[in-house]
Amino acid sequence: MIAIETVNLCAYYGQKKVINNVNLKIPKNVVFAIMGPSGCGKSTLLRSFNRLLELNPNARVEGDVKLYGKSVYDMSPIEVRRKIGMVFQHPNPFPHMSIFDNVALGLKLNGLVKSKKELHKTVKWALRKAALWDEVKDRIHEPASALSGGQQQRLCIARTLAVKPEVLLMDEPTASLDPVAMEKIEDLINKLREEYTIVIVTHSSAQAARVSDYVAFLYLGELVEVGKTEKVFEKPKSELTKRYLMGRVG
Amino acid sequence: MPRDFKEKFFLFGIAIIAVLTILPLFHIIYSVVVEGLPVLLKGGFKFLFGTLAPPGDGLGGIGPAILGTFILTFLASLIGLPIAVMTGVYAAEYPESIFGRLARVLLTIMMEFPTILVGLFVMQILVIPMGRYSAIAGALALAIVMMPYVTVYTEEALKSIPFMYREAAFGLGLTRFKVVFRVLARMAKKGIVTGMLIGMAKVAGETAPLLFTAGGANRIYFAGVDRPVGAISLLIYNLVQQPYENYHEIAWGASLVLMLIFLAIFLPLRLSLKEVKL
Repeated sequence: MIAIETVNLCAYYGQKKVINNVNLKIPKNVVFAIMGPSGCGKSTLLRSFNRLLELNPNARVEGDVKLYGKSVYDMSPIEVRRKIGMVFQHPNPFPHMSIFDNVALGLKLNGLVKSKKELHKTVKWALRKAALWDEVKDRIHEPASALSGGQQQRLCIARTLAVKPEVLLMDEPTASLDPVAMEKIEDLINKLREEYTIVIVTHSSAQAARVSDYVAFLYLGELVEVGKTEKVFEKPKSELTKRYLMGRVG
Repeated sequence: MPRDFKEKFFLFGIAIIAVLTILPLFHIIYSVVVEGLPVLLKGGFKFLFGTLAPPGDGLGGIGPAILGTFILTFLASLIGLPIAVMTGVYAAEYPESIFGRLARVLLTIMMEFPTILVGLFVMQILVIPMGRYSAIAGALALAIVMMPYVTVYTEEALKSIPFMYREAAFGLGLTRFKVVFRVLARMAKKGIVTGMLIGMAKVAGETAPLLFTAGGANRIYFAGVDRPVGAISLLIYNLVQQPYENYHEIAWGASLVLMLIFLAIFLPLRLSLKEVKL
């Protein structure tokens, strides 16, 4: 089953074309990595999936993105973003809120819980799911800004999971973290893959190899190669992919 | 001349000029305290709560003017703050829209606009039709003076929030209204509240917008929003022009009270001006 499909997808910033005719099929419940050098359009591509690109008034999208066969451009952006959650490059928990409130925010404001009890239960569930509960259970009402970078990133994952998305987009989730924190996030991705479709953007081919089932290589806004991760890494079809994997491009 | 000496000489010169610029501020505070404090001590509580003395006969009190200043500032905030905050939010959220751009240009002009013209404008639209000076006219004039400050502070506070928090909030599937009012505005709370207080501190001491609007009332306390009302600044302006010795004394006392009100709003504000840690 295909979770996300892009059809002749192009994206522009003003006159500049940054995504050129990308056709991707992302199966359900896999980890799908999009790798490529900095500035190749990975983040832009990811933001066209949940229509977050629309926050930038200069951005424009052509073609289509389908979530389980239904165009996300026929849904309201609110609905799309609830179904397709996102985790960002820099851990961005809301600094003026407590750990609890960060996770509770989406539940409360979207009216997803009926009682206080349910709210507490869901927040706890989300923090458990993000492998953060044990570290923060005694200080859940402390400000989120008191956490370490890696913990903040897992808090962001909990915040996203709390609203029960079907797809999880991760935009370089470990780029600003130390190696230990990175490993924890990668372990977490491994655990979440059974229940979620995860699309992770990374500039590190090593990370793509470690965490993903499928990988797509994006270069200057064009899709160069896509396939099962082992296949792409062992026998890349394209010369460009080969050179990228050997560290000669990027 | 050796280079070392030249540098020291230059630094010294700059320091002198810097002192000269802030000297008037200290001189104002000094003279208001020196002239005003004895009046306040001599008049005691009666000075704060009593009504104006007859010419040449003691200190009496400036109660109606103090209350009037509070009423005017309160009413002006009631009118001005909601509009100003909403305008600021709009300008921050839709900077490219025609109204957003227009708001920014007009507000910069409004900030520098001669306040006496604001008073004239309100006289035209309220005082003349109503046939008398009133608290509501004074408050409207002050609200117009106050709004651009609050709007600009609100806009700046919202715009200074890094884009990643906006993305995070929208990424949760929140509506724009909730993103702005339930997440971003709370994050920018300090900046917005600062703007509100600066606006209030500013209008609490204004005189010109009140000249043709509030009317002044120094012997009776508040009589209704549609009736004339006093203000400390207005009282000082009027008393200083009188030939009576005791009126000049009252004016100094009133000046000290006005300065204390201003500092009471302004100092805590400046001292607590630390932003949310991002």
